Amino acid sequence: MVKSIHIEKLNYVYQSGTPFSRRALTDVSLDIKTGSYTAIIGHTGSGKSTLLQHLNGLLKPTSGSLTVAGNHITSETKNKELNELRHHVGFVFQFPEAQLFEETVLKDIAFAPKNFGKSDEEAEQVAAKMATLVGLPDSVLDSSPFELSGGQMRRVAIAGVLAMEPQILVLDEPTAGLDPKGRLEMMEMFEQLHQEQHLTIILVTHQMNDVANYADHVVVMENGGLIANSTPERVFSDPDWLHKHHLGLPQTTAFAAKLAKQGVPFETLPLTEKQLAEKLAELMPQSGGELHG
Amino acid sequence: MDKMLLGRYINGESLIHHLDPRGKLFLSFYFIVIVFLCNNWETYVLMAAMVMLFVKLSDISLGFFIKGVRPLIWLILFTVLLQIFFSSGGQVFWHFGPFTITDQGLINGVFVFCRFVLIIFMSTLLTLTTTPIEISDGLESLLKPLTKIKVPVYEIALMLSIALRFVPTLMDETTKIMNAQRARGVNFGEGNLLKQIKSVIPLLIPLFVSSFNRAEDLATAMEARGYHGGEGRTKYREQEWRKNDTLAVILFIALTGALIFLRN
Repeated sequence: MVKSIHIEKLNYVYQSGTPFSRRALTDVSLDIKTGSYTAIIGHTGSGKSTLLQHLNGLLKPTSGSLTVAGNHITSETKNKELNELRHHVGFVFQFPEAQLFEETVLKDIAFAPKNFGKSDEEAEQVAAKMATLVGLPDSVLDSSPFELSGGQMRRVAIAGVLAMEPQILVLDEPTAGLDPKGRLEMMEMFEQLHQEQHLTIILVTHQMNDVANYADHVVVMENGGLIANSTPERVFSDPDWLHKHHLGLPQTTAFAAKLAKQGVPFETLPLTEKQLAEKLAELMPQSGGELHG
Repeated sequence: MDKMLLGRYINGESLIHHLDPRGKLFLSFYFIVIVFLCNNWETYVLMAAMVMLFVKLSDISLGFFIKGVRPLIWLILFTVLLQIFFSSGGQVFWHFGPFTITDQGLINGVFVFCRFVLIIFMSTLLTLTTTPIEISDGLESLLKPLTKIKVPVYEIALMLSIALRFVPTLMDETTKIMNAQRARGVNFGEGNLLKQIKSVIPLLIPLFVSSFNRAEDLATAMEARGYHGGEGRTKYREQEWRKNDTLAVILFIALTGALIFLRN
């Protein structure tokens, strides 16, 4: 197993050593494999964002350590060393369109690669490539990012992160505020990146459907600690446990759980529509006549 | 940023908290004026005793007031040093070029220091015990007579309260955008001066853009709820002048009398 991220007993306290100190993470230990697609779920205030900010050195652990893409980080790590780490970790923040500032779309996308030492020409080449990848038409490259629609601005911002050519892509609710079509397109685009470029993806989301459809690993957080670290199949197989922690089921699984209560014998609850359809087809009697018999 | 005390309100139920903001505002300004009546030890001791009494009555620990002095300490020391080195009169202790230290100068230095501290304590008392909204409401009703000479008092008060309201929001926004640009390889506060100035651009432009967007949203929301300026507008928070407020004014009149009596 190749580990892309190795977190060991990570603790983080906000405003440590002042009367306002507040514990955000408690003894978090976690391994994330290279090329995996991990979803992190949990309520607001459960520590998801704090954990994510450690992954590219925006925060340093109060105690414990983490190794990300070969960079070892402890509370002692100097700020200068963090730049190397940030090069390898692309971070798409919530509402990333807020980070746009350049005169043209192309320049904005090329901003990060330039910061990480690419020449202007190289950076713009990468930028043009990434613009196509996220589905921006060539015609917008020379216009101001502020003239675009909200959905397109988000694409520009995401292209701006991808242009760093990171090994690890951290996504903090990347589809918040998009319409259903935009949401689907965006998730499919990340899936494509995951499949084709073998990016390690870490997704924070409240959309259980996205977890079911795309992730191969789920981490559930509560009160600054991990309460589950498993596969989506496992986590979603226990509706009672999820209910206890105020978490929902994916639509398909919820539907299947209802069927199960009516007596349909599922071995494991299906996660995606395709799995559900296949299961149901298996369970259906072969000829139509027997249904009523 | 958490250390910023300006406009920070500390919740409480003390006598001072419950005074009318109009009275508090007016008396704070009035206090600054009468501090300048002090010119000897007796008057300063009297004023200091008054301020300590107010601090005690406010139920807020003295530490918060001392923290209020800290950001201005260099300004205060600079002024005090000017007083000490350039005052004339009295017995000369030390003399070099234009600099002279005299006993009069030293005493003046101490007086200037006391004056600063008294003024800062008093204005800190105002902001610690009065919510920003109360302050802008109070200011609005104090300035009301100026509407007669076409001063846009309502608008000024509205601008003030909106500005105060959005300070924390803007700080949050700044942190978010700084993080996003850091993740894209910007190093804030590193490198030479030119580099540092350049690194401010990716922070300032998004901040301006989001502020304008926010302002537009706010204007729409206000219009949708029927806001049309201050004319004929009633208030949810009524300001009420009570017995304690009158007593506070009488106390300050007495204080002024005492100062005039005690000063040289």
